[in-house]
Amino acid sequence: MMITHATNSFSDPVLVRYLALGAVLFSIGLVGFMARRNMIMIFLSTEIMFQGVAINLIAFSRYYHNADGQSFVIFLLTVAAAEASLALGLVIMLYRQRQTLNVDAWSDLQG
Amino acid sequence: MDYPLIIATACGAIALYLMMPRAQGWLVKLGALIGVLALASGLSYLTHWASVAFPAQHAAGPGVFFYAFALIAIASAAGVVCHPKPIYSALYFVLMTLAIAGLFLLLMAEFIAVVLIIIYAGAILVTYVFVIMLASPTGVAAAAVDYDRISADPLVAVLVSFLLLGTVLETLFTHAPHGFIAPVAAGAAAHAAHWGGLAALGKNLYSRYTLPLELAGVLMTISLVGAVVIARKNSPHTQMLGLGDVPTE
Repeated sequence: MMITHATNSFSDPVLVRYLALGAVLFSIGLVGFMARRNMIMIFLSTEIMFQGVAINLIAFSRYYHNADGQSFVIFLLTVAAAEASLALGLVIMLYRQRQTLNVDAWSDLQG
Repeated sequence: MDYPLIIATACGAIALYLMMPRAQGWLVKLGALIGVLALASGLSYLTHWASVAFPAQHAAGPGVFFYAFALIAIASAAGVVCHPKPIYSALYFVLMTLAIAGLFLLLMAEFIAVVLIIIYAGAILVTYVFVIMLASPTGVAAAAVDYDRISADPLVAVLVSFLLLGTVLETLFTHAPHGFIAPVAAGAAAHAAHWGGLAALGKNLYSRYTLPLELAGVLMTISLVGAVVIARKNSPHTQMLGLGDVPTE
């Protein structure tokens, strides 16, 4: 059975709503990135920003009937997974050095 | 200037500012209340905007599921950012991921929705939870530590982020009705039947994006090796950097 994707229900105002949602998620993640002091929470906030971007890509993919947006999200997930593994390895290493997750403990890096 | 939009954005900013972890706990409830207000005013603005900007397509709304999933996603994203205990933040993040997977289902990206749940809610979040458990000085049941209870600089962070958000939303809502978004090509509707689903995505990945796909595999391998090297205790590499004498747990 062929699923009919050729519906015209995805109009411009609907696309704009998805884009607005992506922007809201991105800025909430940005707040967390700048305001939290726990290193793990800082990286978790970047994941929120990633997902806001992913919503934009998928919404445009749906709007233009084009699989490129979904392909980009596959790559985005790859980068997110690589970032999570590397960042959390770094966090573990930094935690072993100072026995705290507070980023302010590393203020001496600013010279 | 679009005053209702600005008011809604400012309400969201105040709500998030009040909900950020701080010493005075009662402000969080006030912040949540203002947040509900911000979401409601944003919703009423959206309805009004759609009827003015697109009178012909006003009936074709996104449906109730979009609003439900969007509400869950925004509320749980605020929960991630604002909860003083990291383990609860991680759980809120799972909730947000599930809501966004629901949105992807609505957008006919079934495969991406499943992949998002497996990779984000499964793999990445399990890694985060492991690290939270490993690196918490006091364990999960203990009270939140100081640097989690009080956020660094919530006013600056909220101001910068919501100025950005206000600019983006203002541009989007003002210019979207006037050709800001490129129209769908004329032939797109004809091949729309063959667009969706996993087959088209796989064909796209393995024809147009073959090289990037292989590079993604290389990236995963490199990050795997890198994570092992970074997290190893007392490796030659860390000794070379003078980090050899790390305290053992």
